Amino acid sequence: MGEGLRAAWPIALGYFPVAVAFGALGAQAGLGYLWIQLTSLLVFAGASQFALVGLLAQGVPPLLAASLGLLLNLRHAFYGPALRPYLKGGPLEAFFLTDEVFALALRTLPGLSSEKRRGYFLGLGLGAYLSWNLGTALGALGAKGLLAWPRLGEALSFALPALFLLLALPHLRNPVALLAGGVALGFHLLGQTAWGLFLAGVVGLLWKEPWKGRKA
Amino acid sequence: MTLALLLLALGTFLLRFLPWRGEKSLKTGQAGPALVVALFLVSAFSPPPSSEWVRAALALLGTYLGLRLTGNLGVAVFLGAGLYGLLGALGF
Repeated sequence: MGEGLRAAWPIALGYFPVAVAFGALGAQAGLGYLWIQLTSLLVFAGASQFALVGLLAQGVPPLLAASLGLLLNLRHAFYGPALRPYLKGGPLEAFFLTDEVFALALRTLPGLSSEKRRGYFLGLGLGAYLSWNLGTALGALGAKGLLAWPRLGEALSFALPALFLLLALPHLRNPVALLAGGVALGFHLLGQTAWGLFLAGVVGLLWKEPWKGRKA
Repeated sequence: MTLALLLLALGTFLLRFLPWRGEKSLKTGQAGPALVVALFLVSAFSPPPSSEWVRAALALLGTYLGLRLTGNLGVAVFLGAGLYGLLGALGF
């Protein structure tokens, strides 16, 4: 597990400022600290948490807000099956399966022996989870000023795109992945990011034959 | 409100868990690589297209070079994030 925890630090670096912002948003919306923290402790899915709190603050009925949050998370249904060749999913593994944990695990698990994979994955998830919850607590308790230091907050939040770039590099010559990425980016530019990511998963899923790079 | 929180938590967990459990292998084709590239593109480029994309692209280039020079994923991410902040401070 230690190896996974150590490998989680780029994710933790990126999660922290976003989680502080989430905690601060919840506090601004008048939600109690315990409720805000419970959201991060139980849901552990950033975009849907922001959606839930934002919609509740606008007076949207709670069950509708939760349903919309779930729609944002539809893409997560693709992650487990993509990891299954390397790791069988149990409840704890599934709980930790965020976008970033999935992407990093997809890159690293194939290179590990099968005995090491579960511990590594749980370490990865735990590192991300601790950062997310620490950031939430600090944001909800009024430590938003932590990120007021010039450019610190936005610099740290760029850690996630930087990490995704490095994880995407091996796939940038895969035409299926590029097509799916183009679909996702197109929907993203139209303000429909969640649907774009879901459709990207569908595009990849429908492509049954593994793409193989041209041999020199 | 607490019911909404519990519903979102349970639903998210089931979305992650149910497709992953079980013995039967599910063919996922290229879903993994497709989603990783999609996540990269939507996280790096916020709509609408703007000069912010140039800043992001430069910082991504720095991240890539950081990986080539150091071979360390974490250090490269740290360099990219630092460059992004620096470019912002320089008015990009």
